[in-house]
Amino acid sequence: MNERARETLELAYRMSNLLKTGLDRSTLAVVMALTEQGVNPEALAAVVKELRREAAALRSVSFSSAP
Amino acid sequence: MGSKEVSALVRELVYRLLPSKSELEQGGADRAGRLDAIAERAYNYAVRIFGSRIVPSIINDEGAMAESIKRQLVLQGRSSDALAFADLHRRFSAQIGPGCVENKWALLYVLRSLAEDQRRENAETRGIAGSLTSTLSGPASHGGLPALPAPLDRTGPCDNLSPPKSMVVSNGQMLKVQNYGSTSFPSGGVLILSKDTENAKASAIREFVELCQEESEISEGALVRDVLYACQGIDGRYVKFEKELDGFIVDEAFRVPRATRMLVRKLCEVGWLFRKVQQHIDESIKQGHMEEIGTVGQAFCASLQEELSDYYRLIAVLEAQVHNPIPLMSVGNKVENYLSLRRLLVWLAEPLVRMRLLAVLVDDCKGLKGGAMAGAIHMHAQHGAPIVRSIMARLLVRVCSPLFEMVRRWVLEGELDDIYEEFFVVGHPVKAEALWREGYRLQSGMLPSFIPESLAQRILRTGKSINFLRVCCDDHGWAEAARDAVAAASNSGNRGGLGYGETEALEVMVVEAARKIDGHVLKIMYDQYRLRDHCLAIKRYLLLGQGDFIQYLMDLVGPDLSQPANTVSSFKLAGLLESAIRASNAQYDEGEILDRLRVKMMPYNDGDRGWDVFSLEYILRDPLNTIFTEAVMANYLKVFNFLWRLKRVEHALSATWQTMKPNCSLARLFTSSGSAEKSQVAAILRRCQTLRNEMNHFVTNLQYYIMFEVLEYSWAKFLEEMEDAQDLDDLIAAHERYLTSIIEKSLLGERSKLLCKTLCSLFDLILRFRALADRLYENARAVQARSDSSLRKKLERELFLSNTSRKAASMDFTVEFLKGMGDEMDGVAAEYSSLFEGFIAQLPVQQHVDLKFLSFRLDFSEFYIRQHMNMSTAPLKLKRTPIKASRSS
Repeated sequence: MNERARETLELAYRMSNLLKTGLDRSTLAVVMALTEQGVNPEALAAVVKELRREAAALRSVSFSSAP
Repeated sequence: MGSKEVSALVRELVYRLLPSKSELEQGGADRAGRLDAIAERAYNYAVRIFGSRIVPSIINDEGAMAESIKRQLVLQGRSSDALAFADLHRRFSAQIGPGCVENKWALLYVLRSLAEDQRRENAETRGIAGSLTSTLSGPASHGGLPALPAPLDRTGPCDNLSPPKSMVVSNGQMLKVQNYGSTSFPSGGVLILSKDTENAKASAIREFVELCQEESEISEGALVRDVLYACQGIDGRYVKFEKELDGFIVDEAFRVPRATRMLVRKLCEVGWLFRKVQQHIDESIKQGHMEEIGTVGQAFCASLQEELSDYYRLIAVLEAQVHNPIPLMSVGNKVENYLSLRRLLVWLAEPLVRMRLLAVLVDDCKGLKGGAMAGAIHMHAQHGAPIVRSIMARLLVRVCSPLFEMVRRWVLEGELDDIYEEFFVVGHPVKAEALWREGYRLQSGMLPSFIPESLAQRILRTGKSINFLRVCCDDHGWAEAARDAVAAASNSGNRGGLGYGETEALEVMVVEAARKIDGHVLKIMYDQYRLRDHCLAIKRYLLLGQGDFIQYLMDLVGPDLSQPANTVSSFKLAGLLESAIRASNAQYDEGEILDRLRVKMMPYNDGDRGWDVFSLEYILRDPLNTIFTEAVMANYLKVFNFLWRLKRVEHALSATWQTMKPNCSLARLFTSSGSAEKSQVAAILRRCQTLRNEMNHFVTNLQYYIMFEVLEYSWAKFLEEMEDAQDLDDLIAAHERYLTSIIEKSLLGERSKLLCKTLCSLFDLILRFRALADRLYENARAVQARSDSSLRKKLERELFLSNTSRKAASMDFTVEFLKGMGDEMDGVAAEYSSLFEGFIAQLPVQQHVDLKFLSFRLDFSEFYIRQHMNMSTAPLKLKRTPIKASRSS
């Protein structure tokens, strides 16, 4: 069982890398779990995008405000 | 959705995606502090988004998704990557069972959108120097996520979305959506997150669908169902039949856009037409009386019901479609009904045409029945469109079959099978002798327009002939003739079943039957009833064809007829008739014919002599009565009377001739008398002679004219026509013509009344002359006898006294007698000549050509005309041209 899960994750990770989504393994695992749970993929994608933006904003602000 | 797990996962996601505290602490302490708040807010936002029901604009299709990803990779120029991805995807999707991803599509979708997003971000960052705001999304650039209301209404206003104000930034970029939370919905705006640009059209369609749904209170499915009910004439929940508007419309109470209303109204026209047709059928069959409808009307209703059953079939199929929706491939996940109003419009187009046709027919046939209805329907069948023609053909075959059956029965069996008065042949109960002429008539109101008039006449005559044979002739041989006709009809390819459109077959059958039956009728008339013989007998006896018989009859009957009418006994006359027959050649005629010859005494007035009331008649029974009806026999009687009178006059003149024979002795007698008396007597005698000659000339020529120009000629023509006659109608017509021509030519017709009167007065005059001449010659002979005895001197002494007295008396008598005679003779002569001239003068003015021949005969030397011209000048101008004409002829 686990083997298969790992294999699936591996495949998905490779696909994600090909597509250059920028997701790392753990995040991808979370995403996969969420889609399995039946979350709307579009909503999920939107959320991920927003969170990424938020993160970028935080980083950039912090960097810009760096003395 | 297990929300606990989901929320845990979401928290995890947020945690992972947002930068860690440590990272932020590098930059500044204040940022780190805000992280928690931001994280919390992000978490809320995420949960909110996940709870929303944003629908992806593309369908749940893994394969398509993979394809699209591959395509994107290829478009980016990374074909090898595309291949690799394909391989991976194959392996990925082959994995099934526990521990694998079920919702592969969703995962691919996420990956794809993230990839796109990343790509776009990179593109933007590459293009812009370092502006930070450009990497930020709309909400982020406003300083954070918008403030959302505390109670999260997840299922709220997502359904009712007012039209989004969206604009496309550019073709390859996202749709930017404005925040419209401030508009109509108090619960605040809802973000519609933009989709990929490929779905722009799809989203527009989706918006439109939602708009339409929002406009109408009733769903389209419900409307469609109601329209289908309306098409069967039943009121639905929303679509009802309005009496004032006379149509099915959507109920006013419901809010439905105007376009939909019009569409529904148009669709329900079929329902209205259906209602009308159904009403007609109900009225006719279930409630109506049979007499008003008749068999043809019933056949019409039956065929209407057949057409309607086709219609029902279609409606049933459509109804099945309504309940059996097929998912659409283009618009969203929501399942639409297969049958929309527009689809229904297309489906109902052809039934509309058909139903309209049926309704028009129903309207036209209201109140008609029988052949009239068939004719009206036939007029509609003259149409160019093939669909109309096919329907009408089917309908008409049914409708006309009772009619054709009736025709068949009538033509082949003579039976009128018409309880409801639908047939165009109508029968009246009449006596046997009037059967042919009045028993059956054509009722042209019931004659359908596809049966021409001539054919109808033939049909009428054929059936009439059969009935005639059966009733009047007591003949049953017609059954064979009918059987032959049936055989001939079925030989012509028609298996006894005639239908509409086979008018030629009907015509053939009718013609065949008519020919056979008519031939049979004529055969019966000629052979069994000896029509020809009877016609000839009538000519011989009533029209004085048998000269010797007439002569004998006149000799025998003459003295009796001079008595006053009321003393003449018909028995005696009948006896005299018998003896006349026996004395002449007529005795060799057949008993059957002679039996029919009778003496007839006409009703007389006071002062009539026997001559005026005597006539012969010929008794005829059925079926010859149809030809020789009462009217016809009356005409014959008229002619007989005229001829008889003419004959009498001729007879009188010849009798006078007989008395005038011993002329020489008379002349010699008076030579011995005084010269004055001699000349007077001679003059009178001569006058008498000439007058008699004139009259004789007139009468003889008239007689010859009647005999040869009129009677014989007409008879020859009649014989010819009798040969040519095809049926009894022809025969009757020929006979009528024969008789009419006789009457006209012998001056008995309507136009010759004046001439007839002249003739009658001429005849009377001639008879008076005869009496006069008889008296004259009687006296002359008496004188002669006396003078003879005086010459012989036998009884001189005995008769001296008597002689002298008588001689003196006779001498006196003679002189005065002669004078009186002379005066009378003069009077008669003058009257005669004036009448005669009048007669001659009128002849050429007559219409009938043959009378010119009469004038030619009478005046061949133009003696009278010249005399007339000398006497008067006025009428000359009138007569000049006819004389020339007769001269040239």
